[in-house]
Amino acid sequence: MAVKTKTKPAEEDGVRLKKRSNFGEVWHRLRKNKLSMACLIFLTVLILGIIFSTWITPYDYTAQDLMSRFQLPSAAHPFGTDDYGRDLLTRLLVGGRYTLLIAILSVAIGIVFGMIIGALCGFFGKWIDSTLMRIMDVIMSIPGMMLAICISVALGSGVFNTALALAVGTIPMIARQLRSSTMLINGQEYIEAARSFGESNFRIIMTHVIPNTLAPIIVQTSLYIGGSIMGIAGLSFLGLGVQPPTPEWGNILNNGLDYIYDFSTRWNVIVFPALVIVLAELAFNLLGDGLRDAMDPRMRK
Amino acid sequence: MSLLEIKDLTIHFPTEEGDVRAVNGISLSVEEGKTLGLVGETGAGKTTTALGILRLVPEPGEIENGSIVYKGKDILSMQEKEVQDIRGNEISMIFQDPMTALNPVMTVGDQVAEVILRHQNCSKTEAQKRMVDILAKVGIGADRAGDYPHQFSGGMKQRVVIATALACNPKLLLADEPTTALDVTIQAQVMEMINELKAEFQTSMILITHDLGIVAESCDSVAIMYAGQIVEYGSLEDIFDHTTHPYTIGLFGSIPSLEKKVHRLQPISGLMPDPVNLPTGCCFHPRCPYADERCAQEAPAAAEVSPGHLCRCHYWETVRGKEAEDNV
Amino acid sequence: MSDTLLEVKDLCKYYKTPKGALHAVEGVNFSIREGRTLGVVGESGCGKSTLGWTVMNLHESTGGSIFFQGEDVTHPTKAQKKVIHKSIQMIFQDPFSSLDPRKCVSDLIAEPMKVMKITRGKKETEQRVAELMDTVGLARRYAFAYPHELDGGRRQRIGIARALSVEPRFIVCDEPVSALDVSIQAQILNLLQDLQEERGLTYMFITHNLSVVKHISHDILVMYLGCQVEKCECEELFRHPLHPYTKGLLSAIPIPSIHVDRKRIVMSGEVTSPINPKPGCRFAARCPYADERCRSELPQVEEILPDHFCACHKVRELNEL
Repeated sequence: MAVKTKTKPAEEDGVRLKKRSNFGEVWHRLRKNKLSMACLIFLTVLILGIIFSTWITPYDYTAQDLMSRFQLPSAAHPFGTDDYGRDLLTRLLVGGRYTLLIAILSVAIGIVFGMIIGALCGFFGKWIDSTLMRIMDVIMSIPGMMLAICISVALGSGVFNTALALAVGTIPMIARQLRSSTMLINGQEYIEAARSFGESNFRIIMTHVIPNTLAPIIVQTSLYIGGSIMGIAGLSFLGLGVQPPTPEWGNILNNGLDYIYDFSTRWNVIVFPALVIVLAELAFNLLGDGLRDAMDPRMRK
Repeated sequence: MSLLEIKDLTIHFPTEEGDVRAVNGISLSVEEGKTLGLVGETGAGKTTTALGILRLVPEPGEIENGSIVYKGKDILSMQEKEVQDIRGNEISMIFQDPMTALNPVMTVGDQVAEVILRHQNCSKTEAQKRMVDILAKVGIGADRAGDYPHQFSGGMKQRVVIATALACNPKLLLADEPTTALDVTIQAQVMEMINELKAEFQTSMILITHDLGIVAESCDSVAIMYAGQIVEYGSLEDIFDHTTHPYTIGLFGSIPSLEKKVHRLQPISGLMPDPVNLPTGCCFHPRCPYADERCAQEAPAAAEVSPGHLCRCHYWETVRGKEAEDNV
Repeated sequence: MSDTLLEVKDLCKYYKTPKGALHAVEGVNFSIREGRTLGVVGESGCGKSTLGWTVMNLHESTGGSIFFQGEDVTHPTKAQKKVIHKSIQMIFQDPFSSLDPRKCVSDLIAEPMKVMKITRGKKETEQRVAELMDTVGLARRYAFAYPHELDGGRRQRIGIARALSVEPRFIVCDEPVSALDVSIQAQILNLLQDLQEERGLTYMFITHNLSVVKHISHDILVMYLGCQVEKCECEELFRHPLHPYTKGLLSAIPIPSIHVDRKRIVMSGEVTSPINPKPGCRFAARCPYADERCRSELPQVEEILPDHFCACHKVRELNEL
């Protein structure tokens, strides 16, 4: 009987039914934020470029050409070449794969664990809460970069290990945030209502608590990705994280920095990697800000 | 001359989705020492009207039209500075929610004294003295003046809010649902206190409420608001004994009576219209049992049922006749 | 009586707080017959909502016993819990916070059916949802709307449809109309009455609004600070209130008529704290008639008149009985 099609909302009783779904409404408001949209477009282009890098540049990222070291930007090499004569654009695009992969992976690990811990703490409270939260406090008390350095020294380099090293620092932040929003939701009557139908705690957490805490987490995600890019770059810069010759934005920059004494003729090996890092980080942060504004219920009518 | 005279007040809120027409040309007057009850449901525009009187309509609201004449001067054409001198001094407001109307990090005594210091040219010690006096009037001892709002119960907080409003002996009090957040027994205490103080200070009051019971007890005249308009306006007797507008009749039919045993209530069908998208003609026509073609097209003007009793309905005579029949 | 659906004996519920035990419900007794409505009235903080939660087994009682259909369900077994969830449902006070904002109307209504596995398959669920929406007067085009797009009255209808979805026999209505405007409130009250007549539902109607409770209830239980103060038939309570608190409460209601001339008993003071209450009658601090005995000894509930229960030491003296 009830046909599962969204019928066009009719106007009746003077009550207007909005066509837009929650997501549609957020998208509608985000689109009005020009800065955020610019960031979104930039990131989309960047990611597409990274994915299709093999088709974009004819060079191999490891192909050395010692005859053409330190070339400044030209038609053949838009970003110039580095100390081994490798095409810088190719290396940045391929390096972006590792950087973004690690960034997303680390944030994903952080979110999954942070959400589980936060939801458990907020939902059950009592000893679970105090035990887990004290552990989180201990982790939080160590400066993030220091923690990441220690872990990656212990685990060694590599994509997954670097991601894990960075994730550990984000877990407590996400856990804290989720804990407080879970507590807030826990006080709502619809949780009480769900209990009155005999729903299990697990089901309540999965179907009511987590979906309702997702919006702020999505916003945070883009901010954390920005932070992670910096973190990875930092680790690689220190010689931890991804090891050369595998390119990664941080180690490309580190490599270029060796030639800073000759900046006027070799500026491209420093400026381009730095610019990519800064722009990607900035774009993720601004997009996160825009998302937060767009998702804020107070902005809704 | 009346203390306050509002003519054709129109307040709109331009938004992305269109103009929210909160108040649409209302006219009313408040006599010295009298109480006007402003009755209506959520979204009828009662609070916006009160905020309009103080020129405190929140962004992006705009007062589009009309005049608010207070003691012979139009508030809408005053300088901001003049209005500030009136706010809290000559006209003050009691807010609905005592929990949020007080600053949680200031003692209640300081909050009351602050208003006195701002408006009355007096020394700090003088302000302190007057603060203690006014708190005593609302039944709060001087020993509690140093306490913070969270140390008070809901009813006591509302007393503090009232003390703040009365601190400068205002001529006009705008009470926005002053007892809605309180329990019945506390409501009775607070209403009694408001009425006593009002009599003592000879203050006029606009009492905003949705509770016709409170109106019956405290008001001299009543304005029934619907969708930003006053649909019926008159003395207490006009409204309660000679109810004329179908909406007012519907409101009375919706209240379960304590005296008569009614098996079923006679609610008004349908819902409040969306203020962005008000119906054409008479705003009430989609919900009105008497409505016809004419009501859908032509907005009714205020008809004078009897001297001072106004009703915005094309068919008030028919409605009246029908009601008289039913009551027999 | 054989048709007693729910019986509560000496029910107590205390909460632990850092300051001491909060006596939310203390020694409440009542029984509800099938197809009737028990109104529970009291001011905020009198424990009326807690009473509802405890009856529904959402919170475990501290003392006393609850019988549902003659069976002791105070500490229910798993099988009993299932029966309770299916037979007792609740309508919540706040139509804004009692609906998950991320779910659309049809999902909200279908939720209990899914949890209790009442319907088989998507199709059957959809059909049931559509029927329920008709029952509560929600247009079917709202099936995929989200709660924030609807007004309070419609949201409360969703809450009612959701409660009805498992075909309960008993519904605890926790202030179902308090958040609504008068005209909408009347629509919802009529709906609840119709449903009771059609389906023989039994209600426990919790509210602070005396005129609403008078309109819808058969019997009324008045509570003050967790204690049962008075209980009798609805008409009887309004005609012959016995307890001084009930009298004060009744006289405090503003009546929407200008021809009522009555003496108001304005009760001084405010509700005291339910944490570690003093011995004696809970109302003693505000009662104009309280004496030494009232302050030291908690009055027991007695049957003062036939079917009219009251807990007051001085009730006979005050009412010249």
